[in-house]
Amino acid sequence: MMLLAFDLLLAAGLLGLAVLVVAGPTLFVSLVAYTVFGLLMAVAWARLGAPDLALAEAAIGAGLTGAMLMLSYRRLLAIRPERTGQRLVRRSRLALPIALACTVLSAGLFMALAGLPEPQRSAGGDALAATAQSEVGNPVTAVLLLFRGYDTLLELLVLLVAWLGVAMVQAQARPSAPRPPAPVPLLDALLAAVVPGTVLVGGYLLHAGGQAPGGAFQAGAVLAAAGVLMALAGRLQPRARATPVQAGLLVLGLLVFTAAGLWPLAAGQPLLALDGLATVYAVEAAMTVSIALGLCLLFLGAAGLGSK
Amino acid sequence: MSLVELAAALFLLCGCAFFLAGTLGLLRFPDTLSRLHALTKADNVGLLLICIGLAIQSGSLRASLQLGLVWLLALTASTVSAHLVARRAHRQSNGAGR
Repeated sequence: MMLLAFDLLLAAGLLGLAVLVVAGPTLFVSLVAYTVFGLLMAVAWARLGAPDLALAEAAIGAGLTGAMLMLSYRRLLAIRPERTGQRLVRRSRLALPIALACTVLSAGLFMALAGLPEPQRSAGGDALAATAQSEVGNPVTAVLLLFRGYDTLLELLVLLVAWLGVAMVQAQARPSAPRPPAPVPLLDALLAAVVPGTVLVGGYLLHAGGQAPGGAFQAGAVLAAAGVLMALAGRLQPRARATPVQAGLLVLGLLVFTAAGLWPLAAGQPLLALDGLATVYAVEAAMTVSIALGLCLLFLGAAGLGSK
Repeated sequence: MSLVELAAALFLLCGCAFFLAGTLGLLRFPDTLSRLHALTKADNVGLLLICIGLAIQSGSLRASLQLGLVWLLALTASTVSAHLVARRAHRQSNGAGR
């Protein structure tokens, strides 16, 4: 009963926030609503029993994306101050009919799907059965790396392409060199306590990912959060070029995954048929580094990093 | 309902009341500094009470310590962010500019 009330409140909150994101009075309200939406979405995933998704959503959806949007908003304030006060969308007369039509369509789809018989054999069941035979205990990691490795490999490529895009437009997006913020003693104390803790949590998530909720994406996002914190405090500065080491770390995940994926071919196995827990951990660790650096650079909107 | 459950529920409800008060302050107080005052104090105590309530409910030392860690981390982060917001508001009101 209490849980049903909580779920209904959660669903209503998500819908309300979604409306606010699209039709908020100002851009700033929409951005804040989007961040809170990500946070509630993480709670929703947790309620649905998907802790992996909840972790990723909280770290990337609410944390990193929210911070990135706020930073973009500040740049927008500097570049085009007149844009920030405007309403994003003017409400059209068609809005209500379209919303009603969508509701009817969703209800119809729901009814149709609810009427379908329970399938005898589903991909989820197959994946769980295959996970039990592998050395990987976490079904999510097993699916990501063992059963649909192609997909995960290309996700790394997407991150790299996004970084390339940032590297190309960075000069236009950052018209003036950012002023380093004035030193705050309290902030330094926070960094000294939080950054090592973040590295610890990231390492734990990576290690846990083999058998329990966690994995490369969550660990990478948590590590990237430490980078974001240091960037906001002025400890890390954007640079127009990546150093060779940074470029190497950016492609490390892709390289290690590709090499580990090609190796089975030599033994007559299919492409990307990773074998053994050690291989999985090696690929995950390399992915974590690339994801962390990639996300951090995307946040900074820069091709490379430098210290103060 | 046992005495332990009752105590846990009491702590949880008190924590929620603190959050409610803090949110009211955030919405109703006139300027940045007094809003921060309402938010940080009420929320930190609220979170502590909720963590205590959950720790009692969990009945395990491990979970209780983890909850304590959560509270400490939130306390640290909110202290520093409140300090930064207040600093900025103070400078702006003194006309020192951005």
